[in-house]
Amino acid sequence: MSVHLSDRPVAAAAPPRRARVNRRGAGGDGAVGWLFLAPAIVVLGLFLVLPIVMAFWVSVSDWKGTGSPFASSVGFVGADNYAALLTTPGLAQQNFGTSVRNNLYFVLFVVPVQTALALFLAVVLNQRRLRGRNFFRTALYFPTVTSSVAISVVFLFLFSSSGTVNAALGLFGVDGPSWFADPRGIFHLALQGLGVVAADHPPAALADTSVLGLSLWDWLSGPSVAMCSIIILVVWTSTGGYMLMFYAALQNIPVSLDEAALIDGATPVQRFWRITVPQLRPTLFLVLTLGLIGTWQVFDQVYVMSRGAPANTTLTPAYLSYSTSFIGKQWGQGSAIAFMLFVLIVALTLVQRWILRERDRTPRRAGR
Amino acid sequence: MGRSITRVLGVAGAAGLLLATTACGGKGFDDASAPAQQQAGPAKLTVLIASSSAAEQHAVEQAATAWATRTGSTVEVVAANDMAQQLSQGFAAGSPPDVFMADASKFAGYAQNMLPYGDSLPYKDDIYPSLRQTFTLDDKLYCAPKDFSTLALVINNELWTRAGLTDQDVPTTWEQLRAVAQKLTTGEQTGLVFASEHNRVNAFLVQAGGWVLDDKQTTATADTPQNLQALQYVRDLLASGAAKFPKQIGAGDSIEALGKGKAAMVVEGNWIVGAMRNDYPDVKYRAVPLPAGPAGAGTLSFTQCWGIAAQSHYQEQAKDLVNAFMDPQQQLTFAETFGVMPARQSVREQYQQRFPDQAAFLQGAEHAHGPVTPTAMDAVMADFDAQLQQLPDADPKRILEQLQRNASAALGAR
Amino acid sequence: MSSHRSRLARLAGYLVLVLVALAYTYPFLIELGTAFKTNADATAHPLNPLPQQWSLDAFDALAELDFPRWAANSLVVTVAVTVGRIVSCSMAGYALARLRFRGRSAVFGALIAVMAVPGVVLLIPKFLVLNQLGVYDTYAAMILPLLVDATGIFIMKQFFETVPVSVEEAARIDGAGPFRTFWSVVLPMSKPALITLTILSFQASWNELPHFIVSRQDPALNTLTTGVATLVSGQLGQGNQFPLKLAAALLMTLPVAVVYFIFSSRFTRGTYEGADK
Repeated sequence: MSVHLSDRPVAAAAPPRRARVNRRGAGGDGAVGWLFLAPAIVVLGLFLVLPIVMAFWVSVSDWKGTGSPFASSVGFVGADNYAALLTTPGLAQQNFGTSVRNNLYFVLFVVPVQTALALFLAVVLNQRRLRGRNFFRTALYFPTVTSSVAISVVFLFLFSSSGTVNAALGLFGVDGPSWFADPRGIFHLALQGLGVVAADHPPAALADTSVLGLSLWDWLSGPSVAMCSIIILVVWTSTGGYMLMFYAALQNIPVSLDEAALIDGATPVQRFWRITVPQLRPTLFLVLTLGLIGTWQVFDQVYVMSRGAPANTTLTPAYLSYSTSFIGKQWGQGSAIAFMLFVLIVALTLVQRWILRERDRTPRRAGR
Repeated sequence: MGRSITRVLGVAGAAGLLLATTACGGKGFDDASAPAQQQAGPAKLTVLIASSSAAEQHAVEQAATAWATRTGSTVEVVAANDMAQQLSQGFAAGSPPDVFMADASKFAGYAQNMLPYGDSLPYKDDIYPSLRQTFTLDDKLYCAPKDFSTLALVINNELWTRAGLTDQDVPTTWEQLRAVAQKLTTGEQTGLVFASEHNRVNAFLVQAGGWVLDDKQTTATADTPQNLQALQYVRDLLASGAAKFPKQIGAGDSIEALGKGKAAMVVEGNWIVGAMRNDYPDVKYRAVPLPAGPAGAGTLSFTQCWGIAAQSHYQEQAKDLVNAFMDPQQQLTFAETFGVMPARQSVREQYQQRFPDQAAFLQGAEHAHGPVTPTAMDAVMADFDAQLQQLPDADPKRILEQLQRNASAALGAR
Repeated sequence: MSSHRSRLARLAGYLVLVLVALAYTYPFLIELGTAFKTNADATAHPLNPLPQQWSLDAFDALAELDFPRWAANSLVVTVAVTVGRIVSCSMAGYALARLRFRGRSAVFGALIAVMAVPGVVLLIPKFLVLNQLGVYDTYAAMILPLLVDATGIFIMKQFFETVPVSVEEAARIDGAGPFRTFWSVVLPMSKPALITLTILSFQASWNELPHFIVSRQDPALNTLTTGVATLVSGQLGQGNQFPLKLAAALLMTLPVAVVYFIFSSRFTRGTYEGADK
């Protein structure tokens, strides 16, 4: 993270005169430096920076997908594509709204669950005199390095209607749902289960007001049963990595702090909240923000497992931007979605860096 | 922070430079409208097909190979994983397949990228007029309709007799369909299975006397009482458990459900013939016309054509390949291997004589409704599919209202 | 009493860990076992990883599909990308850590900025750029954009900063230019960082999916990720042939698994460095 440049010690160590000699002798570090950087600059410029510019241009153009987007026949349409997604009632707005809702629930479930689970496992793993620590660490981290495609295939089987999960539920007498075919939102299901509302007669106040093309009732659906299986998959995959981050941070907490509290007669739970959690605050922020950034980019699992089905309840903005462009041939709208997602993620990253920079400046706080 | 802004600006400038380099070094910018340069002699053709089954893929491959051997060309037949994505990516990249299957419902969206060669076909008049009409835009026949199919009710014979049902019990009305579906639903087995998409469900709309659009396809007619009646019938079937979608019973599609005995009856088209022969050769089945609804008999028809890309460098050779596919004897071979009905009228009788088992499909052609074709309706129908997946929990009325709203907006925006 | 309680806590800890470890390993056991099952066995006994009767049908079927071709493509791309990243990232990392020239801090700042760019939002324009360059649907299109990785540059830069300056000073006094100093003095000392970089590049390019969706469409250029994804979508008539799909998933996981179990500590270190930019 540090942006402080480390050439200072080098410059301090090397007398200026010699440095100048070197520079002349080697034709100057300048040329060599740029030469060394050239491959990186060309590739990142062509395939990272230029695409951002292009995405922005396409998002304000009426390019139809034939020929070059820079051809003279392609027109500038201003914010039309953005308006179609955000303000103009219609299918595009409704699909975008649906994808945002889905991803919001996805974030709402995945981030807290994976963070809590990772922290919990790290604390368990950090117990003194624990045997087989390496085995557990290896087992829990393995899904993180495995291909998302392979894992998605495995989960398709686990969660198929005659799959492993339903067979396991069957052992307890539970008749599992047909996961990937079930578009019902779990909040809706809960409300129905409690007998509060009937599925096809939602309260008028909620059904008749709509935001982003979606009625309030639909906004409150919760993740669909199908989305829940993707949520479980992602939590399962990513917890291991975050657990290792917590674990590393836990190892850095001075044992003396914990022992002092022990002498004060604090219970384990008190020690956890009063000492461990405050000490872990920076890591907690890191894990939360990394989680936020990652969960807004979910694409692979949706592409492999569901392609947005059933009933668009697993549609995410990342997948919608892809399908709008490559399948629906609405390149402008697809790019507009991508660009909004880009802005959101960059904003999240800036927040993260800002918080962590604060951490770099302030020395570790002692537990209050 | 100020410094980092200058940095970002610097990078943006660099990107501009790169852009300029790209413009010079790469393809020109205004290359879209220039006609593709044609090459004579042996060709290297790519054929992209949306295969209904392995049987269809093999049959097309065989026909293409035969043509290639005869002409000294090479042909690669590629089965699309996602036809729409692969075609639009190909058109955008300027490297589409030379020949591809264009579905009637998507054809209008591809027309600007297609070579309109249909009017020069010597056998043009032998093709069913309704099929020609489907692929005609601005008075030009864009491509040769390759064949057509309709939906029928396909029954697993063994499960049928095991339930004590006989020929007299074959359903001809909605009521009878509901009754036999219920009778055929036991434990692991579902009476009636059909895909959760408009390409199946819309057959019920036709039987109730409704449809999504008017005949000219300029006005939405989705929220009519007829459509509501049909969708309510479908909803009730699903809610009773006598009918299910394939995914709900752990099957990839209806054909698999039928082949594995998970479904006793399915709503499928001609292509089921090839798929069953390939994947479940031992399962005995029969196809009967879909039961009539309150407005009489009704089904859906599907057709695709052999599109030729305007950007192809081998248009003459591609046309020649299409002619080989359209040859009457070849049409009958296709009919034999994967069940479709020939697009050419001259072989209708031969088809009837050779494939009496498929009479139900041919019979359906008389009261079949073609697909919704305006390009703007593409996204609308995709959304309709998404809504149908919510059955039986969703309200049919709301689904149709949404369809009406979306369709009106899409057609109005044209 | 307190030691009694801590023993109890430890026991509970073990119990939790065993349950969690089971939840983490069981899916892989299912994957492994089901790959050797028949289709009927797979759907009839989804909970039992042991096949009723062992069958290699799934692997035979995979061999008949284009699976070997996909694997070969994945290998080609992975090797090319990994070699490219080693060269590009170590050179760039060295320049940023050790060479002094005007604009260096600007480049470094830009690099930090670029690391935040999420890959999935660039799918559309990446396709457009590749197309504009005239390389769409080629190996070049699949490899070139992956050749440089900002995180890799960062890892190398951080490593080079830990190499004692005196070593290079000595080489320079001997008259070696920056390139020779880099090549024959610094690089040989950088084995640990290079191994980490190799492993991370290998894993990242082997598992990459979205880039290969938009950089090609010729089925002959399918990698394992895109190829296996087509198996799943079922349009090619694979239906519910789970043993086939799981065998494919198993085979594509194996190389990463082998590398992971040999170098697992380096993987985990990579996460910290990659994450804690």
